Amino acid sequence: MKTTSPVGKSVPRIDARQKVAGEATYVFDLRLPGMLVGKMLRSPHAHARIVKIDTSKAEKLPGVRAVVTAEDTPKIKFGSNEFFFPYTVDQLPLEFEKVRYIGDEIAAVAAVDEETAQKALSLIDVHYEVLPAVFSSVEAMKPGAPAIHTAMNNIGVMMPTCFGDPDRALKESDYVREDVFYLQSAAHAALEPHVSIGQYELSTDRITLWSSTQAPFKIREAMAKTLKMQEADVRVIKLNVGGGFGGKLEMFPMDFCACLLSKKSGGLPVKMMCNREEVFSFTRRKHPMIYKLKSGVKKDGTVTAITGEVIADGGAYCSYGPTVIAAAIMRFMMVYKFKNIRLFGSRIYTNNPISGAIRGFGGVQSGFAIESHMDMLARGIGMDPVEFRLKNATDPNMTTVNKMILSSNGLKDCIRKAAEISGWKEKYGVKKETAPGVFRGIGIGIAADVMGSKMYKSHESAGSIIKVEEDGSVYLFTGAADTGQGSDTAMAQIAAHELGVAYERVRIKAADTEITPFDTGSFASRVTFISGNATKNAATDAKRQILEVVAQELKLDIQRLDIKDEQVVAREGGRALLSFDQAVILCYSFNYGRLIIGRGNYNPKTTPVDFRTGEGNISGSYGFEAQIAEVEVNTKTGQVKVLKMYDVHDIGYPINPASVHGQIEGSIVMGLGYTLYEDLKFKEGRVVNPLFSKYRIPRSTETIPIESVFIETNDPQGPFGAKGMGEASLLPTAAAIANAIHDAVGIQIKDLPITPQKILAALKDSENKK
Amino acid sequence: MKTVTLDINGKAFCLDVPDGELLIETLRDRLGLLGTKYSCLEGDCGVCTVLADGKNVLSCLMLTVEAEGRKITTIEGLGQKDLHPIQQAFIDEGAVQCGFCTPGMILASKSLLDAHPSPTQDEVVHALDGNLCRCTGYVRIVNAVLSAARKMTKTP
Repeated sequence: MKTTSPVGKSVPRIDARQKVAGEATYVFDLRLPGMLVGKMLRSPHAHARIVKIDTSKAEKLPGVRAVVTAEDTPKIKFGSNEFFFPYTVDQLPLEFEKVRYIGDEIAAVAAVDEETAQKALSLIDVHYEVLPAVFSSVEAMKPGAPAIHTAMNNIGVMMPTCFGDPDRALKESDYVREDVFYLQSAAHAALEPHVSIGQYELSTDRITLWSSTQAPFKIREAMAKTLKMQEADVRVIKLNVGGGFGGKLEMFPMDFCACLLSKKSGGLPVKMMCNREEVFSFTRRKHPMIYKLKSGVKKDGTVTAITGEVIADGGAYCSYGPTVIAAAIMRFMMVYKFKNIRLFGSRIYTNNPISGAIRGFGGVQSGFAIESHMDMLARGIGMDPVEFRLKNATDPNMTTVNKMILSSNGLKDCIRKAAEISGWKEKYGVKKETAPGVFRGIGIGIAADVMGSKMYKSHESAGSIIKVEEDGSVYLFTGAADTGQGSDTAMAQIAAHELGVAYERVRIKAADTEITPFDTGSFASRVTFISGNATKNAATDAKRQILEVVAQELKLDIQRLDIKDEQVVAREGGRALLSFDQAVILCYSFNYGRLIIGRGNYNPKTTPVDFRTGEGNISGSYGFEAQIAEVEVNTKTGQVKVLKMYDVHDIGYPINPASVHGQIEGSIVMGLGYTLYEDLKFKEGRVVNPLFSKYRIPRSTETIPIESVFIETNDPQGPFGAKGMGEASLLPTAAAIANAIHDAVGIQIKDLPITPQKILAALKDSENKK
Repeated sequence: MKTVTLDINGKAFCLDVPDGELLIETLRDRLGLLGTKYSCLEGDCGVCTVLADGKNVLSCLMLTVEAEGRKITTIEGLGQKDLHPIQQAFIDEGAVQCGFCTPGMILASKSLLDAHPSPTQDEVVHALDGNLCRCTGYVRIVNAVLSAARKMTKTP
């Protein structure tokens, strides 16, 4: 079993054997004795007053075990950014006064089978008084627009930011330009549908919820609050999760109803599962945004000021609205050392489905707008886009204008390396017709990543416990929620390295609110950094406990001992004193009786975003990234073919290189889909393409060659120098492709997705202008 | 209702099933073979892929009565204790993330490699076109299939 440290190696994933053998259990697979099928009754109207709900016929249907409406609930609202933004808490688990989108939940049933549950839904009689609805964010802000909540002009979230003197700086610029960018909605499209099973224990008034979730502790909190229960009486268990991407980051009414229906059914477990259409239509979606920018630049390439407005269509409820707006406004402030900024962000209520968190929060939208705009500014002064970015990019050990503290920062190295491996100098600006009417181009985009976002609680702590049993087995308990990205593996690697044992020794028990320590969840690229540090600290503690016993037994100074490669060794010289197994047996022996239980937590030194100013050091460290796309544009068909993506990422240090590359590749291909064709479409509040056959996600035949390179900056805060990652690689993709299209054929597409029709129209337009 | 005799993973099962029952329902709900997942039940995602006489089929589009007389292989039949080289390659190449597409992806790959033991990258990419994955961007999945093909042709 002797191995060297697993950290920095592409060890097999801890869950891979079960997954390839079909033995990995998801909540999707879970069956419990007596389990009932639960179904939600949803509003068919985009905006209506509920006059009356009559469930009597449904209740009488044979096979129906329970029906619930708001009258069975304490009518307490929930929201996802509750701690810092109480005014965004706006959704009831079941609505009783008004419905605000097509799909709004008003009742739920539990029955012996799906057919009966469906029939019961059709027997619930709801009288609506239909209200005027509004589906466009711009229309919803106008005076006289239908009021969806109580917010003035339907503006649910506002974020004004102003730094320096942007008006004066614009006047002093050599070149000023204005652009408007349009970003469409998109779906997470995780393959495991949203699913949960609730079980109510009547004798103790306790709940167990098995949920396909990214944030079990967050659900526990929301569930306890909306059911007026103690958190101790709500247990949330995560099993394997078939993808999340931000779509499984909050409590849904179906989670709540599964528990409530179970209570009313005498404690039988109730399974709630969305079908594919429901996932697309009624869970969460990407915020469509309008991003207006007016910026100036000096002849030497220094950006003088950036000003503008961001308008997001939030849909019917707030969800993670504040986080998304903050990301849409603040992400580029980690990337560029701009001094004069004025941006006004607003998130508007409409009667569309609820917009929420999705990989990158608002960073993908801002990434496209800002990075396209930067290229246009560079061209305006005749500067190379790579040089332009090097001129304006942030540096290590600096504080940004909005008080973000950047320590390690490999951004400029990322840009230089990406330019080098892509052959930028030889390719950029060189007209290349590879076939009649087919032109090649190259484009760049850059981005930054956070490691957490301090948007959920006053702290952002994560905890870990490590127990070492008498037989030498190592159990790691972490609250971190692996949703497929590989955090369980990374945590096991970190624990094994720090404890000095083989990776294969570590068993992991994760994300069960009753057993594992607290963790805010898998979002904002935070897990490797925050939960990883907590796990490292727990392993350090367990190691100290073992070494204390060894030191006492061998009458040595504990400072001179360490555990490495499964041996207790002398720090100097590395002489092996006894094996790990012998040391553990010693701990558990007659004279000592020491059970080894290490504990650790980590709370990054961060400050929340101040929404009045846009200031806040929201992350313990920051990651950076440069991406270069090479494309071919067919001017006859409008087809864009991405030939290759070059990605250079400052990941601090890769705990598991294969996993890190896997995250980058997955992000880029997801970004490719969003850039070229993914488009969740709506007609009067209804999703018109809620199927995989109509909402196209990239297929194997559409994947592209990706060259992924790491810049290792060994972050002083990160576990073994590692930074979080997983979101950043999605942020610059669309702009890199759009900029490459410009290099190929001289047109800049400013609204996504970049369809062949848009290319042909823009080519025609530019011909006409000539 | 119909009485059918099914050959699943080399074992015979005699079952009474409704005429309209889908193979995915029989596999998961009657036989407890939960390794086969599904994501859309409309034939769009490939997640529910199983093998029928060695060819990949979608178990959400096949009626159980149609499966009679054909050898059905699910992921459980490919290898659990001793893994098939394709399963091992998926582990070694880091081709598994959330794992939800993995069983279907592996079986579609098996169908390809049984018919074409040494496929080109292009052939692999086309063979997996019906199997969606949202996590990996397919890069490592394609590498895994190519690596498995090399290993399988070396050791007959």
